[in-house]
Amino acid sequence: MSEAAGRGEARWADWARAAEDPRRASEKPEALDGLLVLDCAVAHYGGHVLGGFLGELGAEVVKLEPPGGDPARAWGPADAGLRGEGLAYLAEGRNRYYATLDLTTPDGQALFRQLATRADVVIEGFPPGQMDAWGIGYRQLEPLNSRLVYVALSTHGQFGPRAEGSGPEYDLIDQALSGLAYITGEPGEGGPEAGPTRVGSWISAYAQAAWGGVATLAALHWRGTSGRGQMIDVSGAEALMRYLEYTLLLYHGSREVRERLGGMDIAVSVYTFIPVKDGWAFIAGYTDPNFGAICRIMGRSELAQDPRFRTTLDRTQPDRRVALRDEIARWSVNYTASEILAKVLADPGPGTVVFGPVNRPTQTLAEDHWWDRGCFARLDDPVYGPLTLAAPAWRMTRTPPRLKVPGRPPGFHTAHVYARHLGLGPTRLTELRARGII
Amino acid sequence: LSVIIFGPATADFLGELGAEVIKVEMPGQGDVTRILGHEGCFWKNVSVAFFPQNHGKYHIGVDMHHAEGQALIRKLVARTDVLVENFKPGTTEAKWGLGYRQLREINPGLIYVANTGFGQWGPFAEGRASYDGLAQAVSGLSAISGFEGALPIKSGNYLGDWFGACLSAMGVLAALHWRDRTGEGQFVEMAQCEGLVRALDWTWLYAGLTGRDRPKTGNRDPVFVPSGIYACRDGHVAIVAGKDTEFRGLAEALGRADLADDARFATAESRRRPAHADALDALILDWCARWSRSDVEAAARHHGFAAAPVMSARDQYEDAHFRARGSVEELDDQVYGRVVDYGPAPQLSATPARHKWAGRPVGWHNRHVLKGILGLPDEEIADLERRGIVGRWGDRRGARPPDDWSGEGDLL
Repeated sequence: MSEAAGRGEARWADWARAAEDPRRASEKPEALDGLLVLDCAVAHYGGHVLGGFLGELGAEVVKLEPPGGDPARAWGPADAGLRGEGLAYLAEGRNRYYATLDLTTPDGQALFRQLATRADVVIEGFPPGQMDAWGIGYRQLEPLNSRLVYVALSTHGQFGPRAEGSGPEYDLIDQALSGLAYITGEPGEGGPEAGPTRVGSWISAYAQAAWGGVATLAALHWRGTSGRGQMIDVSGAEALMRYLEYTLLLYHGSREVRERLGGMDIAVSVYTFIPVKDGWAFIAGYTDPNFGAICRIMGRSELAQDPRFRTTLDRTQPDRRVALRDEIARWSVNYTASEILAKVLADPGPGTVVFGPVNRPTQTLAEDHWWDRGCFARLDDPVYGPLTLAAPAWRMTRTPPRLKVPGRPPGFHTAHVYARHLGLGPTRLTELRARGII
Repeated sequence: LSVIIFGPATADFLGELGAEVIKVEMPGQGDVTRILGHEGCFWKNVSVAFFPQNHGKYHIGVDMHHAEGQALIRKLVARTDVLVENFKPGTTEAKWGLGYRQLREINPGLIYVANTGFGQWGPFAEGRASYDGLAQAVSGLSAISGFEGALPIKSGNYLGDWFGACLSAMGVLAALHWRDRTGEGQFVEMAQCEGLVRALDWTWLYAGLTGRDRPKTGNRDPVFVPSGIYACRDGHVAIVAGKDTEFRGLAEALGRADLADDARFATAESRRRPAHADALDALILDWCARWSRSDVEAAARHHGFAAAPVMSARDQYEDAHFRARGSVEELDDQVYGRVVDYGPAPQLSATPARHKWAGRPVGWHNRHVLKGILGLPDEEIADLERRGIVGRWGDRRGARPPDDWSGEGDLL
């Protein structure tokens, strides 16, 4: 036993809070400190997110935008913006140095080669082959910097029958190809509200960024022993598809095509959305003791002995899954989500019930838990003003990630970036600017 | 040391990249995903739910409730790089003496990863359990998905588990990068609710600025219009024509090239107005109904906009592109035979990710791990087995090997 635990000094939760405390992150080192990442993802959200992930973990990330700015700066809701920009870019624009560079011109490409020679990681999200056609793809950069990890992001990947000649990446297309849209939504096909359904955020971009991050860090680990970089190819469709669990194996094993089940699930029951007095909620308890706990909390202990619902296999049969959901719904509509949560937390066991409200974003933001944990950050930024942002998702005791700067306008750090990495001073930059290279 | 998906997938993703992963389960039944699902979910005596997060692992059955089981885990931890668990906060420490505070004493370089719903600390962390569906609900994801005025949408997969696991694996690798430089291990935690919070793009910025919830836009992308999911003669397609050039192409495909010059549709900004977007949707819906999915895809290629089939499992199974890339792969497995499943997601040119074998019954590799790795004497292993501290699968569905298992495949 450790000394602390042995002496009973701190409860686990208190120890973990003190050891992780995101508010004190600046006292500690960063995991990826010293890595140089060139983020030249233009009009590409997955690449933009990946740059942010690596920046949160401590890498020095340089965003290279076309002069005039990344078209993605226009993306966001129609009814809100900041400094003439859409909100999407700023939401994920954190921890980066913003420089401009025209990659379509030979002089811009030459400058890019110089930067890539010094970089550890390049991120790009152009249609497959675009960087190669510009003479700055992996094939051309590898001889200049054999340690480079080059991450290419696209809808279909860099090769395969659909990759050739494919266009820009869109989240909706990725959601469709991944199989996610097919299994999401209400059953049947009666009109748009009972058909394949899109998940509300650009989730494929996040899946792609997470896979890009995993693969990049694995490549850097291998580089530590081999001295060699490599190329990484992440399709947004495949990034999300790998999260589809048993969808494909179910078809392989039984030729069953997994269909939409709305708020329910094919493998477990009880595991469903239910109506409550003040909206919707999620409830689950699928093993016998956990299902027993649901019945007890409902004051319906006899339900656990009902021959229709006695075993997990009984409860998962399609008709019974629905019948059971309806039994619970008849009870749940009489209580608010917080009333039911109080009953769940007061239950002495045995068994555990998982329950919580379907929160609208403003409801999530009103819960103390997330603020206490530093899951969100409110910044008063000198450029963009007051901002509410999701903070880094990881907690790490030795090298905590951190949100430093939310984002900056195009070219904000151009002078700094070219001075720091290429030693170019104002005279040369003025000349490049006059020619539209930066 | 983890069960279900969130923890096992974290380890699986590391295993795909070459890590040697030892999965520790309770003897007998093992991981609960082995028994989940309706009748059709069972395949070769085990639920299909078990396999996608358990590739190429070494499976051992150890009862961690027993002091000698805990001692075995400690012996393994002394030589382990990464430990993954997804129990309720504090469980490994209080119940088994296998918490981070205890294990770092044995192995200061250890990277200990704890996956939970709400985190290790904070008002919701103690006493509240979580599943993926809960993370989707409380994070706000469900409320921003689907159609205005309709039911909240639960993402059809266990998105919070899988995305959380992917971030968790990324956290491990960042910690490993640090350890490569310094030798120092650390405690890493990932909460699945917070993973999904992090994946909602401009939701929070919008709520902070306006005080409002972002509107649900159904299958229409909130930025790129026209876009949506439309019924064809043989299924659904997704279509996006976000850029003006793409819209011009779509208008040509619709036989309405004039639309590209119509003031209502000529710019991305104007196309996004709900009335204009609805008008385009109606035209596209009408057009798609006349064609097959492959007709629409071909038209999109020809005219320069984006379209793709909404793929079912069958579509993916039969898809030449995914097969060519190995993202749908066929594994030739010694115990389970031919397994067609999703392959690793990222393609790495020098160190390709791969699946080496499928899941195995509980305790399949007991002897390999206890003898081949730890070097325990045979009589000690036999004694542990006799007393149920170490064990294999129970003789029941969900636990036992396939009926046609040849008896081969154990390593020792």
